Amino acid sequence: MFEMNTAEPMQVDVPLEDNENNETECYVVENPTLDLETYAASYTGFAKLYRLMFVADHCPPLRLEALKMAISHVMTTYNVSLYQTLHKKLAEAVASAGLPDVAVQMGSQDIPVLDTMWVESKTKKAAIKLEKLDTDLKNYKTNSIKESIRRGHDDLGDHYLDCGDLTSALKCYSRARDYCTSGKHIIMMCLNVVKVSVYLQNWAHVLNYVSKAEGTPDFNEVPGKDTNQSILTRLKCAAGLAELATKKYKSAAKHFLAASIDHCDYSELLSSNNVAVYGGLCALATFDRSELQKQVIVSSSFKLFLELEPQLRDIIFKFYESKYASCLRLLDEIRDNLLLDMYLAPHLNSLYMQIRNRALIQYFSPYLSADMRLMAAAFNRTVNALEDELMQLILDGQIQARIDSHNKILYAKDVDQRSTTFERSLSMGKEYQRRTSMLILRAAMLKNQIHVKNTGRDTGPQIGEAPGSSTSLTPRTFDTVPL
Amino acid sequence: MASPLEQFVNNVRTMSASGSFRELCDIIGKSDEVLQRNSAHLNTVLETLDIQQHSLGVLAVLVAKFSLPQGTNDIDKSTMFQQIHDFINNCNGEQVRFSPDLYANLCHLLTDHLVEIKQPIRGIEILKKAIRKIQLFDSQLTSIHADLCQLCLLSKCMKPSLEFLDTDVTGIGSELGGNNDSKHFLLYYYYGGMIYTAMKNYDRALYFFEVVVTVPAMVVSHIMLEAYKKYILVSYILHGKILPMPKYVSQVVCRFLKPLSVAYHELATSQHAAIKHRETFVRDKNMGLVNQVLGSMYKKNIQRLTKTFLTLSLSDVASRVQLSGPAQAESYILNMIEEGEIYAMINQKDGMVVFLDSPEKYASPETLCVLEQQMAACTKLHQYIQEMDEQIQVNPQYVKKSVGSHDEDIPATSQNSKTTYSM
Repeated sequence: MFEMNTAEPMQVDVPLEDNENNETECYVVENPTLDLETYAASYTGFAKLYRLMFVADHCPPLRLEALKMAISHVMTTYNVSLYQTLHKKLAEAVASAGLPDVAVQMGSQDIPVLDTMWVESKTKKAAIKLEKLDTDLKNYKTNSIKESIRRGHDDLGDHYLDCGDLTSALKCYSRARDYCTSGKHIIMMCLNVVKVSVYLQNWAHVLNYVSKAEGTPDFNEVPGKDTNQSILTRLKCAAGLAELATKKYKSAAKHFLAASIDHCDYSELLSSNNVAVYGGLCALATFDRSELQKQVIVSSSFKLFLELEPQLRDIIFKFYESKYASCLRLLDEIRDNLLLDMYLAPHLNSLYMQIRNRALIQYFSPYLSADMRLMAAAFNRTVNALEDELMQLILDGQIQARIDSHNKILYAKDVDQRSTTFERSLSMGKEYQRRTSMLILRAAMLKNQIHVKNTGRDTGPQIGEAPGSSTSLTPRTFDTVPL
Repeated sequence: MASPLEQFVNNVRTMSASGSFRELCDIIGKSDEVLQRNSAHLNTVLETLDIQQHSLGVLAVLVAKFSLPQGTNDIDKSTMFQQIHDFINNCNGEQVRFSPDLYANLCHLLTDHLVEIKQPIRGIEILKKAIRKIQLFDSQLTSIHADLCQLCLLSKCMKPSLEFLDTDVTGIGSELGGNNDSKHFLLYYYYGGMIYTAMKNYDRALYFFEVVVTVPAMVVSHIMLEAYKKYILVSYILHGKILPMPKYVSQVVCRFLKPLSVAYHELATSQHAAIKHRETFVRDKNMGLVNQVLGSMYKKNIQRLTKTFLTLSLSDVASRVQLSGPAQAESYILNMIEEGEIYAMINQKDGMVVFLDSPEKYASPETLCVLEQQMAACTKLHQYIQEMDEQIQVNPQYVKKSVGSHDEDIPATSQNSKTTYSM
């Protein structure tokens, strides 16, 4: 019964993950310039494990190292099943790495072996701890001390999280809700739920609880301004992540921009560098020029974030200075590393595409006519490729222009407002007539109770067989209309 | 001797004379069996009745006579056409309207007969007359409409049906609705759609097919399925994509039509679908339309080019539209210019196409005239809707329902209102 319940929320998530795998698994990053050690050091808990696993999946050169680090980290937790999976992966990696690479061979010597003893003892310990926490909780419940019950639930949740049972952890954390006595507790509960929901990639849940936390009445009266700020930053980061994952890049950017660097301590989910990159890229892809200037470039708080990622800062500045060629080149340079980021990777292509399109639109906006050869040079593209891109943008209505393919010139289109108004009103009138006569006909139809139903015959020999079926041959034989 | 047959004749005579047609209809409904049994004497009965005065009686006899099963074919079918022709020309419309069921049945019988002997064109004029006779107003739909369209399609003579198809239906004959099945309603719109498709009035054809598909349904009719297939094809030709169905399409229709027309859906995504599903298309007898779809896709793509390019070389056109070469592109563009579908010039010297803007400036008196006509049509529709709304507002049932919910709250005020009415 209990297990059934735990399976249910998982099922919702499974297809989600599958989707992402489909999108992401098709690429492999060959030569990243990522320093795995420092990268891993900026995360704790599940974030670290997941990120390392993601790197291992997509980057063969770093696979072994990533797996080893993940294993050594997982040894500090009770997460036995993950330990075993990681080992399986490691064994596969070693097997597939093959002989030719000497470095790998060298590395293979210090590959950790599956420690069955550890597995057993950990499993036992976990069970004992679980039992203890459970009995504690029961005791609290009989004594009905709200605060203790809440803590008991939280502890149990922590333990489940430690064991890697995310759904149970989520349940325990949410159960604590009934025993919250102050705003602070509610916020703590929300933060816990948000964290686990992010791990489960249940983004709707994340947003839900973020807004719940923000709506807590004495959210602003929580003692200590600093903790308040840090909670706010956490919530913003989590919301940003959820928006990013659901492809709402603009609101994601806004959330990330609201984070504060001094209080950005959320290593269970993201590092400050992540905030900078996510926020920066989303802003670049969705903000217009003035928004970019006001909210990103002169923003005192986000400036500090950008200092962490000098390359991205350069990109944003280059973009703002309309030096698109170098901007796009820099973007391409950091592409490999960004592809190793588990949250950003699935969206990287569309973000890059949007940034590029924005650049194209911005480039052309002040001109009446532009030489496409110069434009192609500015965008590191051949003229023909540029032509294709522009064509798409024109068809989408993002650029009001037409291409003179003979002379390779892009002309801004002067729209005749009068003609288009006439055109549109005529088509609108036609549409209105069509719909209205359909409506009248439908009213008449309903009034006369015309509907397709099974007449006479026994209750449908076949579903989808209907009165027309007896006549179905009639229309068919007349199908050959001289067309 | 008061045989049932004589009694029937007497009934018809007396009741027709006294004008109690409603009762006569009831009697006719019951005497069906009598007439069938005495099929040998029906001709004599006919001689005793007058078409103009006893229209209902004659109608009943004619229907009984011609709906006899084939096996007992002792009646000469050759006179059928003439007899029905005379009847429709001379019968009394007032009388016949009391039994539209029977009247429509007679027309269906005639249609079936003409289809059988492969002379559909002969029936067109009669049916037109028949429809006009039974209609209460011009925009009323009867089940005879479907017969007319069928005959027009079969005889490949579409024009006569257009005057009916072009009028938007605002009312529906009683014989189409109620307990009768929706076959003739569906057929009318299906055939109508086909006629418009043949006339290349795709806009209207799409409208007709849409009507078929959106008829409220508990089960899916084959007519709907065929209409949906054609809907997809016409939608491709007209818009280059499948227009989404309105929201009020019955659920069962959504569920069954899509899986049953996969081949047609694939047509949008791949060029090879036409070859891959050729068999399906041929079996459905839609191959002609499918070929038109393929042609129109090229045209749609060329039209897209005119939106984005000022000049483009013919070879570029060919490669972007996936035509085989500049020559084919040239012929497509040439045809489209002549049809007025695009505005362009071909410069053969350097193989360039110059796309122009539409020369329509919306300044000519003609445009103004068109505009005014459109506006008038819209206002008319709007007025009609308002009238319908008013009719509903004063419908006792509606009033009762909408007021009913407040009944408990206002027992006191109702008395007040009564006094005000009495004053």
